[in-house]
Amino acid sequence: MNKLFKNISIGFESIKSNFTRVFLTSIGLTIGIFTVSIVTAAVSSIDKEFAKSIQSIGNDKIYVGRMPWSFEFDWWNYRNRPEIKEEQLEYINQYSEFITQSSMKQNYWTRASYENKASWLQMNGVYPNYGEMLTGTKVVNGRFFSENEWKLQRRVIIVGGSVREGFFEGKNPLGKKIRLGGVSFEIIGELEKTGSFTPTGSLDQVIIMPSTTFQRILTRWTWNEFVLQTSPDNINKAKEEVRLIMRVARKLKPEQEDNFAVNSADAFTKQFNQMKIAIAGMGLLVTGISLIVSGIGIMNVMFVSVRERTKEIGLRKAMGATNTDILIQFLSEAIAIAIIGGIAGIMLIRSTLYFLGTAIASFDFGGIEASSIDLQMDLLLTFYTFLVCVFLGLLAGFVPARTAANLNPIDALRHE
Amino acid sequence: MTKSRKEIIGIKSVSKIYNLGNTVVKALDNVSLSIFENDFISIMGPSGSGKSTLMNIIGCLDVPTKGSYKFNDEKISQMKDSQLADIRNQKIGFVFQTFNLLPKLNALQNVEVPLVYSNLNRYKRTEKAKEALKIVGLSNRINHKPNELSGGQRQRVAIARALVNKPSIILADEPTGNLDSKSGSEILNFFDDLHKAGNTLIIVTHEKSVAKRAKRRIEIFDGKITLDE
Repeated sequence: MNKLFKNISIGFESIKSNFTRVFLTSIGLTIGIFTVSIVTAAVSSIDKEFAKSIQSIGNDKIYVGRMPWSFEFDWWNYRNRPEIKEEQLEYINQYSEFITQSSMKQNYWTRASYENKASWLQMNGVYPNYGEMLTGTKVVNGRFFSENEWKLQRRVIIVGGSVREGFFEGKNPLGKKIRLGGVSFEIIGELEKTGSFTPTGSLDQVIIMPSTTFQRILTRWTWNEFVLQTSPDNINKAKEEVRLIMRVARKLKPEQEDNFAVNSADAFTKQFNQMKIAIAGMGLLVTGISLIVSGIGIMNVMFVSVRERTKEIGLRKAMGATNTDILIQFLSEAIAIAIIGGIAGIMLIRSTLYFLGTAIASFDFGGIEASSIDLQMDLLLTFYTFLVCVFLGLLAGFVPARTAANLNPIDALRHE
Repeated sequence: MTKSRKEIIGIKSVSKIYNLGNTVVKALDNVSLSIFENDFISIMGPSGSGKSTLMNIIGCLDVPTKGSYKFNDEKISQMKDSQLADIRNQKIGFVFQTFNLLPKLNALQNVEVPLVYSNLNRYKRTEKAKEALKIVGLSNRINHKPNELSGGQRQRVAIARALVNKPSIILADEPTGNLDSKSGSEILNFFDDLHKAGNTLIIVTHEKSVAKRAKRRIEIFDGKITLDE
């Protein structure tokens, strides 16, 4: 054991005397480690964000609207589709087997103001039972509006979780009145803060009101959807069923294409996974290339090192070093170079994440909380980085180290 | 040369043959040689005579093509690399013409090199290395790097390194070749002292004056021992 440690430390010692060379060699690895970590961190934070979004979409919800949730957004085609009309929901309620609850959801972005503060918020006009269909959030303060309030078109609203901070400096917003497009509304409920972002906007930035009130005050520039609830197991059957009912409701002839879209979380997941694979694939490619290049770099430097120290190898062998001793010495050197690159990479990531973190914190992403984009960088990742470095060092250092170990002591001693 | 002394090295009809393309070079041709405890031997010969090859074989850096080589009654000719390394580490101390000190290590660390490979812990290593440096009279120079030492001092560090594992023999290859005459004779006096202290020494040289200091002189020419007195 004494010998083993000493062999390793001899390998490390030689790093010290050639630090510039070692550092330059390890930069390739630094970049590789940096990319792989950034990609991993990015993918895992996107993943986390996405899981939250999926949660707020709900795996038991179907959303019927004019536009499909898709990254290949064919705006010119979809914009001419006829609006989703409330009476079409009657068809679904009447004929559907799988839908257990349904609500109209009308959307409109409007300028909301309270005293001297103003912000753009998404208004939703919904049915009273929408309170039971909320996913990913719930009313944590106050209450949802009642059937009566809906019938009477009362100007009552339930506000998203970020309204409290935005308008009321963290104080209880219940009973306060805010103005939406010039009309005053009373806050009767508050939603739990989620920090998540869905295809239809952030849940923290919504203002929910009775659809009757919504229609009384705003009739233009709204877009409508149906929010339908089923059980998660039936979601695909329900989607197909809803599609057929909607075709009937919209009086489409058999040869006509759908002029509406039936959306659910799983379609979104597919799209998302493709995007994730693309990001991860690019990252891996860059990482792979930089790892190979840096491996070759390390191997090259190791060959130089072996050549430079041929005489030393001869001497050590004459003094009783075995082939294994020399092998370990040079492998340690190679691994040390790799680890130096890795450590530099980790430090680079750490500082990047730090600056990125402060940059995000000082930048308002339309209400998304900075903390929700925490690019994570944990111990496990550091540990994997370390493993990769050791492995790369072994791989790149093996041939040079073996060359050194197999040197004939007589020739090595004579080497000048 | 009394027979009562223990035989350390027994070489019997050893040949070393190199094949260089089509030509076959007999570096050693049927050489037999016995070396006993507390011998002080000089090996002389012109370059190409085979003295380096003999040296390498005695030093277990090389194995003979033919013949048998016994070291302390152990058959070297059949040993594996790692066993040879062990013999070199424990039983043989090398002194080279060019000192071969590692320039980045100080005197103490240089002397410690063989101890590293005998698997001693750090305290034992330091202790033994200091002891060896004391023998060569360099206790006050242990932290000096080779480039801060004179030629004679460097060679003494190298001798300390050769002595540190208390080897059975010390092999010196032209130990005075790179030294001025004053330092050279200092080193040779030192070898005399080592011999008196009971060590076994072999000095390879081409200088008559150096060879004369030895108690037993061997001359080698064309791979054959031509003189042994």
